[in-house]
Amino acid sequence: MSDAASAIIPPTKSRHLRACLLCSIIQTSADFRSIGCPNCEEILQLKDNPDRILACTTSYFDGVIALIDTETSWVARWQRTAKYARGMYAARVKGRVPEDVEAELDSRGIKYRPRDQSEQD
Amino acid sequence: MSDNESPPRRKLYDDEEDEEEEDSEGSEDVENEGSRKKPKRVKQRQKRDALSRFLDIEAEVSDEEEEDEDLSSEGEAGFITKEGALPEDEDEDDLSGRHHARVDKRRQAEEYRAEKSAEEIARELADRYGRGGGGHRRFTGEMSEIPQRLLMPSVHDASLWQVRVKPGREREIVFSLMRKSLDLEYTNKPVSILSAFQRDSLPGMIYVEARSAQQVSQACNGLVGVYPSRGIHLVPIDEMALLLMIKKVDGGEKIVPGTWVRLKRGKYAGDLAQVVDVTENGEEVGVRFVPRIDLNPREDDGGGRKRKKNPAPNTTNPSSSSSSRPPQRLFNFEEVIKVYGRNAVSKRGQVFVFLGDTYKDGFVEKDIKLNSIILEDVNPTLDEITMFSANNTNLEETMVDLSIIAEASRKAALAVLQPGDHVEVFQGEQAGLHGTVQEIHGDTLTIIALDPALHSQKIDLPARSVRKRFKPGDHVKVMQGKNTGETGLVVSVADTNNSRTMNENTIVTFISDMSMQEISVFSKDLREAAEVGNTTNIVGEYELHDLVQLDLQTVGVIYKTHQSSFLILTQHSQSRLVHPHQISLKKDKSDSLRSIATDSHGFEIRVGDMMKESEGEQRKGRVLHIHQSHFAFLFNRDIAENGGVFVTRARGLVSITPKGALGAGKLPPGADLTKMNPAAAGGAQGLGPNPSGAASGGGGLVGSAIGRGPRDRLIGAHVVVIKGPHKGYVGIVKDTNGVGLTALARVELNTGNKIISIEKGKLHRKLWGNNNNNNGSGGRTPGWGGRTPFGSGGRTPFGAGAGAGVGGGRTPNPYAAGNQTPAWNTGSKTPNPYAHGNAGGGNQTPAWNVGSKTPNPYTLGGGGGGGGGQTPAWNVGGRTPNPYVNKNSTSGNGGDGGGGNSTWGGATPGRWDSDRNEDNGSHKDGGGRGGWGSPIPAGSGSGIGGWGADISSSSSWNAPTPAFGAPTPSGLGYAPTPVIPSTPGYGQQQIASTPAPTYSDYESNAAPTPEPSPTWLLDPTLSLHLSVLHIRILGTKLDKYLDGAFEGVQARVLAASRVGDSFEQTALIKIEGWPEGSSEGDDSQSERSFPIRYLQPVAPATQDATAVILYGPRKGEKVKMRQRPDEGSRTEVVVVESVVESGGTSREGGGGEEGGGGGGGAFWECQKDWMCVCW
Repeated sequence: MSDAASAIIPPTKSRHLRACLLCSIIQTSADFRSIGCPNCEEILQLKDNPDRILACTTSYFDGVIALIDTETSWVARWQRTAKYARGMYAARVKGRVPEDVEAELDSRGIKYRPRDQSEQD
Repeated sequence: MSDNESPPRRKLYDDEEDEEEEDSEGSEDVENEGSRKKPKRVKQRQKRDALSRFLDIEAEVSDEEEEDEDLSSEGEAGFITKEGALPEDEDEDDLSGRHHARVDKRRQAEEYRAEKSAEEIARELADRYGRGGGGHRRFTGEMSEIPQRLLMPSVHDASLWQVRVKPGREREIVFSLMRKSLDLEYTNKPVSILSAFQRDSLPGMIYVEARSAQQVSQACNGLVGVYPSRGIHLVPIDEMALLLMIKKVDGGEKIVPGTWVRLKRGKYAGDLAQVVDVTENGEEVGVRFVPRIDLNPREDDGGGRKRKKNPAPNTTNPSSSSSSRPPQRLFNFEEVIKVYGRNAVSKRGQVFVFLGDTYKDGFVEKDIKLNSIILEDVNPTLDEITMFSANNTNLEETMVDLSIIAEASRKAALAVLQPGDHVEVFQGEQAGLHGTVQEIHGDTLTIIALDPALHSQKIDLPARSVRKRFKPGDHVKVMQGKNTGETGLVVSVADTNNSRTMNENTIVTFISDMSMQEISVFSKDLREAAEVGNTTNIVGEYELHDLVQLDLQTVGVIYKTHQSSFLILTQHSQSRLVHPHQISLKKDKSDSLRSIATDSHGFEIRVGDMMKESEGEQRKGRVLHIHQSHFAFLFNRDIAENGGVFVTRARGLVSITPKGALGAGKLPPGADLTKMNPAAAGGAQGLGPNPSGAASGGGGLVGSAIGRGPRDRLIGAHVVVIKGPHKGYVGIVKDTNGVGLTALARVELNTGNKIISIEKGKLHRKLWGNNNNNNGSGGRTPGWGGRTPFGSGGRTPFGAGAGAGVGGGRTPNPYAAGNQTPAWNTGSKTPNPYAHGNAGGGNQTPAWNVGSKTPNPYTLGGGGGGGGGQTPAWNVGGRTPNPYVNKNSTSGNGGDGGGGNSTWGGATPGRWDSDRNEDNGSHKDGGGRGGWGSPIPAGSGSGIGGWGADISSSSSWNAPTPAFGAPTPSGLGYAPTPVIPSTPGYGQQQIASTPAPTYSDYESNAAPTPEPSPTWLLDPTLSLHLSVLHIRILGTKLDKYLDGAFEGVQARVLAASRVGDSFEQTALIKIEGWPEGSSEGDDSQSERSFPIRYLQPVAPATQDATAVILYGPRKGEKVKMRQRPDEGSRTEVVVVESVVESGGTSREGGGGEEGGGGGGGAFWECQKDWMCVCW
């Protein structure tokens, strides 16, 4: 299907779901702590860093997307998650990544798109 | 290869966190024998390295990729097999030897790097660390450069399908789909959907991305809570993006410090809080709010101490917090340590920590999760905000607070705009422009610019960029909020733009029309309005200044009304905020009107009086209500407190109205007899204590005098409408709004159960059930005398009273005549046609006798004999008993009924005849009228009057009469039914053959009465006896005939004969006696011709006197008095014996009534004044 990794699918009843501010993947905070963000760990450094998790993920999100076939799904493309791991993503995430992350993205020439749908083009 | 844990595997099993994940050594250790083998392994590893160093590296790299792919595509199994391929050497060489391999690898890599080009190395590294695995794939954000619009779905993309699910389980189902697709990935039936999602704002449905609906239903098959049977609908391609673009409509992102929010749960649920700060990720907000500290813990002190040790505030006192939560109160250090002990509170700088909460400036400051606060519809009230701004002495900041509220209610403001509103643009390109709203389409307004430069151009604008505009001098009305309904003039418009943003609301201050106080509201809540608001005066059925019962002991007066509540001042002078349902009873207005209290001087206080406190503050006011004769609620517009209403003891009041004006009103109704006496009230003009009585003239407006009475006596009266479109309708008066003919009465018509408002002047009182009231007048009349402007006006009563009234021209108006007022006064002053149709004009109408007390309307009607102009005078005082009451003779009503007849009464005779005939059965006389009845009530001898006499003048001088008779309607002399003893069994009336009137004199002789009929003497039936008739001259003085020289002269008729109508009818008389005291004229004058109209019959005064019957069916008969007449009564009925003379025969009529017709003559009864004595 795809060569993308699958993220951990959190238990349905989980109460502590959080969404990554950068890629919008949804995991439990425990998962973030244990493995970090499957997509953005390289830049966010969430693993074993609770403070970082608090800063870069949020429980305030809206809409849950089950991304099964990331490569072909239009939804994934629209959400700009086509290259990410399979898993649960949020349709909309409130908040912005911390400034240092923004700066880092900027330095890499990556355009930061907040996932709160505040910017649209 | 094996030195790297594969991420997929770890993820799938959700392994425990491994600290040394990066380091394969650690993990190997755990997986394998353990640390004790470490040295050995190292050794082995080293051995092996030599063989496969290079390979190792290659393998590692390629393997990693492969592994990744394999795992993601094939799962565990593949991985294991792969692992299984290697183990050969590992079995013997300890797996942990990898550690060494790695070390070597690194070394080799360094060498390798040195050999390779930088590009190669870079590529390698990228390959190696590019994704997952031990290193993390570099985050590239590869898709973020593409504009969103280029991502729009195309026809080549899979479709979205909407599936119905159980509301509330959407998220769960999406998770299930994900898990299911992973589980079934490598089975025979893999789930072939691409994705699925759910939006919180679209409850009850999920969207599945798939190529066909069948794939969707297959995927959903077996999941609980999915309803594929309800249809799997294709989402149109152009709506797909929208589903993912839905923005939850909340203010989540606009939380800024200062925002008002409400707390969702816990002890403070619903309380207003203010955002102090927001955490970086916007997930938590620091808020402050007013604490609710239980300062009266239920447990004793010990318990309190125990509690304080408990760190969790929520569990400290569950019982008290659940049953009733403590009131909001700012944190007070002293109070709290008093209750909870000093140790409970610790102080850190400016901040107190108590039970785990932080208190600053009296508020709790707390970080709260975003999802446990309410951001929408916060609508803070002014009261709540006041608590926050209490400490805030800085006005500027308060204003900022208000502007934040305004911001929060922005959407509400949109709804408030209406076409026609005057708005100004405060943001955007058009800022500063103003105009009037023309149209509203959703969020877009069309306004017509008022700027002359724009020529009334229509401009479309977003609604949020405009605000209502007001300027000082506008008259506005508040549309919502606490002050709803207030109106007033704008005095100032304050811009709140001092804060950071342009704001769409200004604060408008206006002076209320009602309270004359300044009120500040947001401009969005205002509209321009011409009306002066009084809407807030009424809430439900309660109105400003109503007296209401709150509980058994408490009453109060509403002094201020809000939209759905009032402020009430109780009799204990407390002010209370009360909602309509808390009012048990509204005191009827009439209750208060009826209640009576006395002031400090013992005078009576009534509602509406202007009073002043005799002590204390000496407040003045108008009495609104009196409660239990003790408390008086007063109102004075000048007092600001409690809306001008205050309560005080009634005994502590003094009137500030001049006593004189109150004089009449002070007496309780009923005490003032003159007022009760309609006669006096109406007639005795100027006599009454009441000036208004005088003013009323004959109009019958007397009522105003009694105006202070408890209630209009007219209320409840049966009336008939006598004018206007409702003429003829009968109804009951429900209410009146004053006195006077123009006052309105609300009349409930008997027909159609309709209530109409009609002027009192168009009503006539109708009296029910009194038809048989014999003596009505006396008692009854007063009731409606003064008050009733209609009817016969204040005048009517007279009739009743005295009968003194002469029946001038009175129409036999059934209404006026009512049974109750048998007699009418003549001099009709009232405009009421019924009552006084022809006053004055008495000529044509038969006049009625007044005095008649006759119970019977019929009788009554015919009763008195009023002489019409042409009608030969009638004698009044007919003896005839009321046909109804007593068939014969009985006296029942004595009175001198008028016998008369001839033409009389054009109006009624017909009726009379029949009535009489039925009852009496007698009388067939030509005059036909004989028996008629007139049981005149004997009232007093005075009843008679009603002769027509010279009508032209009669009305004029009749008028005054009432005054005489009036004073005491019930006076003895006029007793309604004196019941003059009548002779039983009288036979038939004599018929007087001549038209000569019988004259009866009054004792009272209020006024000289002219002879009723000027030509009575010429009646042919009298011609036989003409020469013996004893007459006297009366009335000359009044007419100044011969200077009245012959007034009172007794005379004998010598001859009388009719001459032409154009001449004065005269008779030749011989004067027999001059009245005493007058100078006797000379003999030459003893015989002279005299106008018949001055000649009056003299009633028999002695027994055995002969007399001629002048009236009735036996007119012309000569009788002898068989009874000694009583000089005191003019209308006495006496027993007479017919004198049989030549040609004179007693008639048959009324045979049955004959007492005993004996031989020579018949004995019968006749009223004295129906006779004329003979010389």
